[in-house]
Amino acid sequence: MKRTLISMMMVGTVVMMLSLAASAGTISGKVSGVSGESVVYVEAVAGKTFPAPTAKPVIDQKGLMFQPHIVVVEQGTTVEFLNSDKVAHNVFWPSVGGNKKLTHNLGTWPQGEKRPFKFDNAGAVPLLCNVHPEMAGYIVVSPTPYFALTDKSGEYKIENVPDGSYTVVAWHEGAKNQSKPVSVAGDSKADFTLSK
Amino acid sequence: MDVGRRISVIFSFVVIVILLTGSSYAIPAFSRQYGTSCTTCHIDFPKLNDFGKAFKDAGFKFPKGDEDFIKVPPIMLGAPAQKDMWPHVIYPGTIPGLPQIGLRYNQFFQYTSGNANNYYGSQVLPGSTPGSALPPTIPRTDFQAGYFSIFMAGNFGSDIAFWVDDDLSVSGANANGALGDGYLRFVNIGRFLKLPTDAFTVKVGQFELDLPFTQARSINISPYDIYTQANIGAANPANGLPSVNNQFSMQDGAQGIEFSGGHQYGGYHYSLAVVNQNTSGGAAAAPPNVDTPSAFFSDSNYKDVYGRFSYRFNLEKDPASRHDVQAAGATGPRDHTYLSLGTFFFKGRSVQRFSGLTGGGAAEVLTAREPFYRVGGDFSFNYRTFNLFGLYMYAHDQNVLLNSGFTGFGNGDPVKFNGGFLEADYLALPWVMAIMRYDHVQSTSDFLNGASSGNYYSPVGSSRDRVTPGVQFLIHANIKTSFEYQFRPRQALAYDQNGKPLNSFRTNTATGALEFVY
Repeated sequence: MKRTLISMMMVGTVVMMLSLAASAGTISGKVSGVSGESVVYVEAVAGKTFPAPTAKPVIDQKGLMFQPHIVVVEQGTTVEFLNSDKVAHNVFWPSVGGNKKLTHNLGTWPQGEKRPFKFDNAGAVPLLCNVHPEMAGYIVVSPTPYFALTDKSGEYKIENVPDGSYTVVAWHEGAKNQSKPVSVAGDSKADFTLSK
Repeated sequence: MDVGRRISVIFSFVVIVILLTGSSYAIPAFSRQYGTSCTTCHIDFPKLNDFGKAFKDAGFKFPKGDEDFIKVPPIMLGAPAQKDMWPHVIYPGTIPGLPQIGLRYNQFFQYTSGNANNYYGSQVLPGSTPGSALPPTIPRTDFQAGYFSIFMAGNFGSDIAFWVDDDLSVSGANANGALGDGYLRFVNIGRFLKLPTDAFTVKVGQFELDLPFTQARSINISPYDIYTQANIGAANPANGLPSVNNQFSMQDGAQGIEFSGGHQYGGYHYSLAVVNQNTSGGAAAAPPNVDTPSAFFSDSNYKDVYGRFSYRFNLEKDPASRHDVQAAGATGPRDHTYLSLGTFFFKGRSVQRFSGLTGGGAAEVLTAREPFYRVGGDFSFNYRTFNLFGLYMYAHDQNVLLNSGFTGFGNGDPVKFNGGFLEADYLALPWVMAIMRYDHVQSTSDFLNGASSGNYYSPVGSSRDRVTPGVQFLIHANIKTSFEYQFRPRQALAYDQNGKPLNSFRTNTATGALEFVY
C-alpha cells in the first residue's frame, strides 16, 4: 500500500512538471533597424508581482568606460558600481524611464571600491560620469523577470515565459522603444524594427 | 615720430592686441588617444582643471596607470626587454600610435568705441605742428581672421614628453606665424638620483616661462597688460636716444633649459630656467651678436635667469581627498578648494648699441649693457567653480646713459614700472564662463613717452588701467565663442599750454572671438 502511494506521488509529480513545462514557452526574434545590442523585455503583468532577485550584478568603470555597456536587471535588483580605474569617477543618471524626478548621483569613491544601488523603478537608466562626459552606460530595469539582451546581430530569446498574453518591449540606446502584444503558447516569435 | 611710422606702430599694436593674444591651445590629439572629452582636462579650454594639471605635470600622461587608458596603443621603438641589453642597444622608446596632431582656428571681431575718432581729424599732438591731421588708422569695426595653428604633444616613453606648436598662418596670411613652444621634457629624472617622485624634471627648448598664470594658454582674448609691458625709457635729453630700451616682456618665449619639480595641483612647485638673453621682444635672433650700430639686438652670449616657487594648500578636511589629484565631492570628483601662493623673479640684461667715438675721435660702436630684474608675487583661490587670482610685479632696469661726448656711459636713474592684475573666473554652467578682470600698469616712462612713442593706448598719467568683463560659451567641448569689453580710462592726445589734456576720450573696445580645435 505504502509503495503504491509513493508510486502515485512520483507519477503525479512528473505529470505536474510536464504540465508546467508545457505552459512555459519562449519568445524569440530579432531586433533590426539599429546596430549593436538591444534589450527586449516583457512589460508588467497586471496583478502579478515578482520577488526581487538576490544576485547583485556589477557594472565596472574601467578604461574610462562603463563595462558592460548595457545591463538588464529585474525591478528590485541591487546593482553594484565598481571603480577599477586609477582616476576618480562618479556615477549619476538624469532619469529612470524618462522620469527626471528619479535622477540620482552616487558621488565619488576610490579605486577598487563598490557602491550599491537598488533599482525599484522600471525603465532605462542612462549612466553618466560627471567628469568624463564621453562615458555612457545603460541599465534597463525590466518590470518582469522575462527579458533578454540581444546579440550584436539583434537576435534574442526569452525563456520560461508562462503561456499567456503580454506586451513585449524592445529598447535600444538612441532609438524609440517599440512594444507589441505577444501571445505565448510554447515558442513564440516577435521581431522588432526600431528607428531613431 | 613721423606720421608714417606712427601709423605703422599703431597698426602693429592693434594687430598684436587683437591677434597675438590668447595664443591658446587645447589638445584634441589626447582626446583621440585616450577616447575622452576635452573636459577631462579643461575647464573652458584651454584652462586646465586639476586633472589636466596633473596630466601635464606627468608628461602628458595619466598620472596613474596611463597604459590602462590609452585606446590607441603606442608603437614600440624597441622591445621593452631591450632595456636589459643597454648600453649595447638603443634604449627602447615609443611613439604615439597615431599622430599627436591638433589644429586650431579662430576668428575675431572688434568694435572700438566711436569716440576713438577723436584720435583722427585735427587733434593737436604734443610735439607736432598744430593743425596736423592723421588719417584714420584704427577701424571702428573689424572682422579679422586669427590663427590657424598646428600643435603636437605627447610622450615618447621613459617619461620623455614633447610639445611643438606653430602658427601656420596669422591674420589670414600664409606662413607668417612662428614657433610657439617647442621642447622636450624629461619628467622625474630625479628618480635616477633617488630624489622624491617628481622632485626634479628638466625641459629643454623654446617655451613660455613658468609664469604664475599662463599667457600663451589663457582663456582671455586680450593679454594681461603687465605681461606685455616692455620697459622703454624716455629719451636721454643729452642726445635724444632712448635711455632704456628693454623690449623684454614676461610673455616672450624663452629659449633655454628649465629645471622644475613638484606639482601644480597641490603642494610645492618650483622652476628655475636659464634662457637666452632676449631683448628683442621675440625669439633670440641669429647670429647672436649683430654689429649694426644704432640698433637693438639680442646678445645671447649672456643668459637670463627665471625662478619661481609656489605652494598650493588644498583645503579639504579629508586627507585622502586633499592629497589626491581631484577632490572627492558629494556628487563626484571636482577641483580642489585651494589657496596657492607664489613668487617669481627674473634677472636679465638688455643691450643697446650706439654709434660712438673713441677718445681719439674715431668712430666706434659702443655697447650699453643694462641689468634688469622683474620680481613679483601671486595668489590663486579656488572654491568649486569660482577662481580668484592675481599677480603683482615690480620691474627695475638699470639705466646707462650715453654721455654728451658719445665716448662712454654714465649711470642714470633706474627705469621702473609695476603693476599686475586681478581676475575672477566663475563657471556658471559647465559651458558658460563669466570673467571679470582688472589690469593695472604704473609706468612713468609710458607717460613720458606719451603719444610720441606711438602708443595709442598711452595714458594721460603714469597709470594705465583696464577693466575687462567677459563671458565665454562652449558651443561644444571644442568650439568656443568669447566676448570681452575693455574699459579704459580717459586719455588725450592734445594738451593745453599747462599740460592739461584736451578732448580726453576713451578707447573702450569690444572684442568677440570664435574658435575651434580638432
